[in-house]
Amino acid sequence: MYRPSSLLSNPPNQDFSLRGGSDEDNLDNSLEAERRYFKLRPGFATSDQTMELCNPYHEDRNVSQDERDFNPSSVTFEWLRQAESASLYGGSEDYTRPVLHHVRSWGREVVREKPFSVIHEFDAWRKNPELAEAVAAIKALTAVIKRSGASTMMGLEVELKEASDALKAWDESSISLSAGCDLFMRYVTRTSAIEYEDIEAGKARLIERGEKFGDISQKARRTIAELGKDFIVNGTTVLTHGYSRVVIALLKLAASEGKDFNVVCTEGRPDNTGAEMAKELVPAGIPVTLVLDAGVAYMMETIDMVLVGADGVVESGGIINMLGTYQTALIARSLKKPVYVAAESYKFARLFPLDQRDMSPAPRHVDFLVPLPQTVRVENSARDYTPPQYLTLLFTDLGILTPSAVSDELIQLYL
Amino acid sequence: MIAAMPDYQAAVDDFVTRLRRRQVEGSLITAKLTAELLRQVVSHQRLPNVGQAAVLIDVVKSVGLRMIAANPIAIAAANRSALRAPSLHNLLESIPDPVKTPEAPAASVGDSDSKSRSGDRNSVSWKLKHNVIEGITELLQDLDDYHTHVAEQALEHIHQNEVILTLGRSRSLLKFLLEAKKKRSFQVVVAEGAPRYQGHTLAKELAEKGLQTTVITDSAVFAMISRVNMVIIGAHAVMANGGVLAPVGMHMVALAARRHAVPFVVLAGVHKLCPQYPHKPYTLLNDMKSPAEVVEFGELSECFAAGTGDHTTYVVNPTFDYIPPDLVSIFITDTGGHNPSYVYRLIAEYYSPEDYFLQ
Repeated sequence: MYRPSSLLSNPPNQDFSLRGGSDEDNLDNSLEAERRYFKLRPGFATSDQTMELCNPYHEDRNVSQDERDFNPSSVTFEWLRQAESASLYGGSEDYTRPVLHHVRSWGREVVREKPFSVIHEFDAWRKNPELAEAVAAIKALTAVIKRSGASTMMGLEVELKEASDALKAWDESSISLSAGCDLFMRYVTRTSAIEYEDIEAGKARLIERGEKFGDISQKARRTIAELGKDFIVNGTTVLTHGYSRVVIALLKLAASEGKDFNVVCTEGRPDNTGAEMAKELVPAGIPVTLVLDAGVAYMMETIDMVLVGADGVVESGGIINMLGTYQTALIARSLKKPVYVAAESYKFARLFPLDQRDMSPAPRHVDFLVPLPQTVRVENSARDYTPPQYLTLLFTDLGILTPSAVSDELIQLYL
Repeated sequence: MIAAMPDYQAAVDDFVTRLRRRQVEGSLITAKLTAELLRQVVSHQRLPNVGQAAVLIDVVKSVGLRMIAANPIAIAAANRSALRAPSLHNLLESIPDPVKTPEAPAASVGDSDSKSRSGDRNSVSWKLKHNVIEGITELLQDLDDYHTHVAEQALEHIHQNEVILTLGRSRSLLKFLLEAKKKRSFQVVVAEGAPRYQGHTLAKELAEKGLQTTVITDSAVFAMISRVNMVIIGAHAVMANGGVLAPVGMHMVALAARRHAVPFVVLAGVHKLCPQYPHKPYTLLNDMKSPAEVVEFGELSECFAAGTGDHTTYVVNPTFDYIPPDLVSIFITDTGGHNPSYVYRLIAEYYSPEDYFLQ
């Protein structure tokens, strides 16, 4: 569960607060590996008192206040630390005391571990290729509940909020991640409003719900596949863009029913989504054609329908998906082909982009294979926003929706 | 599973046969007859003490499935409303529920409600049946009043000295126009609507009431459309995405209207709402009638070489046309005027999600 290797791959400006423990005997075995890792770093003392100075968290305190304000990730943990110290010591500004407190509580209570374990938990769940990001996040939050030492629902909520914020800060550009966190938080808030006899019953209920959520991800794909397969009939040519497990499930289900159709995949630079899709679809017996991203208009006259997944579904009924979805939808609209979107309900986000730049940026490195002159700028957004007027229908596990129905469903989900 | 009672079984069989033979035609008639039949079914059904709602729903579903098998189009349209197990679901919700489980995406509220009802007492069981029958009676009354409610809105839409275009014949359209005639003077252009030529009947009815009417052929619609202020038609069914099932030829009129920016108004009662999405509307939700209505067999008999089995000529005679939602300007229902993009809301109001697929 704790993977030191994942720490190594993290970029330097994202730090995870590691409370270096001084009480060796009480450490978890897995945590010892981390501790030893930090012990081996050159230039740091290894005595108990200064052990704290080893960890990057502690290094923060040597960073000037201005830098701390600038760097978002350190501010987050600074805030957390201050919040903790405020709650524990009635507003004391003594930074050393929370650390000592952590040291003291290192043993059996893993309460103070919260931000640390959430990210790692999430990381662990994410490794499973079948699980979507949002589901991994919810599983991580469920783990937070399991380890929580809170004695009231409100306390639990606060801890979860911290963990949820940590997860969101970890990857600010992922919409399904923040949508998943938000959904779970809404559910927690709603549940905590109900009077439970004791905190354990409330926690048990939340844990049960969180664990069921993993099944929902699988079930959602099956439901969507069942709903959407009727739209594929013999002789259909489907165009797809990007790599979506939901779309794959839908196409495989249609193929397994003996339907005769073929699929055109766009190349999907720079992620090679076309090749990935082809690798999944060909074993199912579906003929696949690959085309350059620039060839969508060229192919569109032979296409009967466009089917894409979504990274997020926004309040207007539009979708956020891999770069190139918007132009595919524009071309399809122009040539009067229907555009269908397959998305699970936990991708519904409380966002309303007004234009393409109105989202949190998600840059992606693009390799142009030739050296570029110095002054050339590269526009490397990984995704775009497709407005609802270019979409025909959305297949979700809540049913088939027209784009205008999405906001109603969002309200029901979040209220 | 409770065995079907013989008293209403004969009535169900009779109705199913008539549907199969297409002896029952017209969405309003079909809806009324279905509702009356279901009322009979529900009132005769013996309910056990436990799990009554589930039993009722099962019975209604089984009758409904038989009817749908007999005539999918008429049923898909008109009788979904009568087969509204949501009237059952809604009534279940109105009975007080001690524990309100929080809304969860995976849970089915209807199922949990009906399970919690399994401990109902006798008095509540009688009440349930009574409520359902009351609901169906209300529905029948709504069906009777439907034409009046739609016609009431006529004055808002038809203005002085306007030219209205229509195709074929629709009873609700007739009442709509006659209601407007009381206060406004306008003219009507009626396309005859081959191959049934019901436009002729409508033109006669309008002329009898003193409305200035012109009859044109279907092919003249595009030529006339630029001279027309508004197109008003009656729908056979409205699909969940706002698409319209209408008599054949309407799609052409809708396209012509879009081309000349003429408002395309569709009259549709709430009983015409169908919760299905059309995935292959032109063929799946269509009734192919006999080609003899279009062309005499004798004229083409050489083309049908029965001996070799080689066909060089196909004659297609569809009954319905599918009009995509972006061609419709407004739906006039008994509850008022609505945008096509609003249809999902109407469906959500009148149907519960469990009813979208009866199987």
